[in-house]
Amino acid sequence: MATKILSVDDSRTIRLIVGKAFRPYDCTVLEACNGEEGLATAAREKPDLIILDVTMPVMDGVTMLTKLKEDPALKAIPVIMLTAESGRENVLLIAKLGVRDYLVKPFKEDQLIEKAGRCVTLEKRPVAAPAPTPA
Amino acid sequence: MSQTVQIPNICEFMNRHLLDVFETMLSMKAVGAPWDGVPQFDERVTGCVAFAGERINGAVYLHLGAPFAAQVAAAMLGLTPADLGEPEVNDVVGEATNMLTGGLKSWLCDSGIECAVSTPAIIRGSAFAIEPVPDVSREWLLFNCGANRVVVEIHIKLG
Repeated sequence: MATKILSVDDSRTIRLIVGKAFRPYDCTVLEACNGEEGLATAAREKPDLIILDVTMPVMDGVTMLTKLKEDPALKAIPVIMLTAESGRENVLLIAKLGVRDYLVKPFKEDQLIEKAGRCVTLEKRPVAAPAPTPA
Repeated sequence: MSQTVQIPNICEFMNRHLLDVFETMLSMKAVGAPWDGVPQFDERVTGCVAFAGERINGAVYLHLGAPFAAQVAAAMLGLTPADLGEPEVNDVVGEATNMLTGGLKSWLCDSGIECAVSTPAIIRGSAFAIEPVPDVSREWLLFNCGANRVVVEIHIKLG
């Protein structure tokens, strides 16, 4: 069964980049554009991994993470925070909330895959066999 | 530590950080260039992210010519400029501005100056000017990226 990854980010650009990064792998990438939508999607879909932005409208990533960790059904889902802010205070704050890892923007896709690969099993999608040549 | 933060330090940081954002997210090599006046763009896409704290406030503007903004968006998303509409290009320019300002925020916070940043806004057009409010320093940083120009405009008020 494909690994389910939930990308929660208000930037469509980042959600597209996350989707592109996991395209070679047997993954289903789900999307949410704020923490509120992210919590609802996590409760419904039970993803294997959440890639979570920090600064978002409606509900930010820190609030979403706090609520996630309070929910017995969701608290075991590993979370990688994706943040444009690498300041010590920010990193300490998110570390205390129980994130598995964090990645600072700008980032390379292979850094994301490496960190995700430490949390979930990532298997390459099988390469489609070429269509048979008509005789 | 915060007493060491002056406007030239901020510009020096932003000079380095823009190169990092372009290299990491776009695999594009930008090179700092001497300031020779505001480049004239036929059409321009400008990203803006504001920052504010008790001892600092201001905004970062990233100005790109519209055709280059489309190239930047295509590079970031792994697509071609023809695949992209204005909303996608605007979103990428906003995200690039967010990364620039997020890096500045982190650097300021590590230097003892706390601040918060806004979500990005986009201005698109051919004839507009951004006027700083009184008592705010305005700094310009110019970069070449191949044949294209990248302009970072920073408005800063240090308290």
